[in-house]
Amino acid sequence: MANIREIQTRINSVKDTMKITNAMYMISSSKMKQAKKKLADTEPYFYGLQGEISRILRHVPDIEHPYFDLRENIPSGERKIGSIVITADKGLAGAYNHNIIKLEEELLNGPGEHKLFVVGELGRHYFSKHEVEIDTNFQYTVQKPTMHRARNIASAILDKFKQGELDEVYMIYTRMENSVQSDAEKVKLLPLERASFSHMIMPLSIHREEIELYPSAESVMDSIIPNYITGMIYGCLVEAYASEHNARMMAMQAATDSAESIIKELSTLYNRARQAAITQEITEVCSGANAQKRKK
Amino acid sequence: MDTFGLKIIASDRVFYEGRCRKLILPAPDGEMGILANHENMVIAINVGDARMEVEEDSWVDVAVGAGFAEIVNNRVTVLVDTAERPEEIDVRRAKEAKERAEEQMRQKQSIQEYYRTQASLARAMNRLKVSQGKRWNL
Repeated sequence: MANIREIQTRINSVKDTMKITNAMYMISSSKMKQAKKKLADTEPYFYGLQGEISRILRHVPDIEHPYFDLRENIPSGERKIGSIVITADKGLAGAYNHNIIKLEEELLNGPGEHKLFVVGELGRHYFSKHEVEIDTNFQYTVQKPTMHRARNIASAILDKFKQGELDEVYMIYTRMENSVQSDAEKVKLLPLERASFSHMIMPLSIHREEIELYPSAESVMDSIIPNYITGMIYGCLVEAYASEHNARMMAMQAATDSAESIIKELSTLYNRARQAAITQEITEVCSGANAQKRKK
Repeated sequence: MDTFGLKIIASDRVFYEGRCRKLILPAPDGEMGILANHENMVIAINVGDARMEVEEDSWVDVAVGAGFAEIVNNRVTVLVDTAERPEEIDVRRAKEAKERAEEQMRQKQSIQEYYRTQASLARAMNRLKVSQGKRWNL
């Protein structure tokens, strides 16, 4: 049995760790509340945007636009595939980062030339140790997602897509199903696919309303699509931020719980050791006294 | 007078939802007025000053960012990245943003950076314009 002092130090160190995990739990839960509010505020815009675009595409099916260009003439081995990977700035969030990294590695194993745009410190560190091309100018943090940051990311990505430096763009982030479950998810940002917008197949006999695009279809698309991409990125950043803090909150809760059970176990051990020591002392005193008695 | 359903959605909130009598939007080639029973249409919106008449003779100014408006079946949906009332605008912040953008414009930068600065300058100037309520009354 370990000696009393050793157990005592162990208990104290576990207690200190528990203080930290408990504090992190509090921080994450308050940050998650903010993130959830932000998420609820953007949702009408996010879904409105998707709905409107699908509607426009339904009514005006024959739009030729560079953002819809699938570039099918490029063979799959030579396609330049960019992915925006959203990880956390630090670990201590359970499986949150690992799920994202696993999903990204699946994509990296596929054909094509890959280029990564990593948002978040942890992912940047991880992928810099592997042989993948990372855009080094792409230094964004995941803390406090803002429209401004989403706009910067979107303009950088759209520019690269237009210049042919990227043929496909994916976004890998964590979507929050509900407060218990969140899943890593891959979304195709560019080129826009018509199929992903039109969920509904309209029979030919139904009358379609005519919608005029003003001043022209192209200028409307020019102003809608960058907005749509920005909105998508912003939505994803907010989702990821909320799920990060949710994951961290749960991880810290689990850590605090297990610290509590360890402390409980250790204090039982400690008490046993203390009792044993006392018993031994008493036996020693008694036997000493007995020996003295017999001497007389 | 006839009214139409109007919904203005900004990226951070639903700005307005309800009936409206007249609406004026900043399109890329000038302002565009919308009355009830307008033809179905999708309009691109620039950074600028939109106005809506909710009740007779009471116009509400709205500083809007880039986006678009969709008119279908007498319902208008405006989706813009920002929408603010004049009294909500932080004049000092807008002034600072304008100065910052002007400073950046003077420096050498890539075309992409130039466009970005230009866009933020336009947003800042629009905010200032709407907040000061300066208008050429005809």
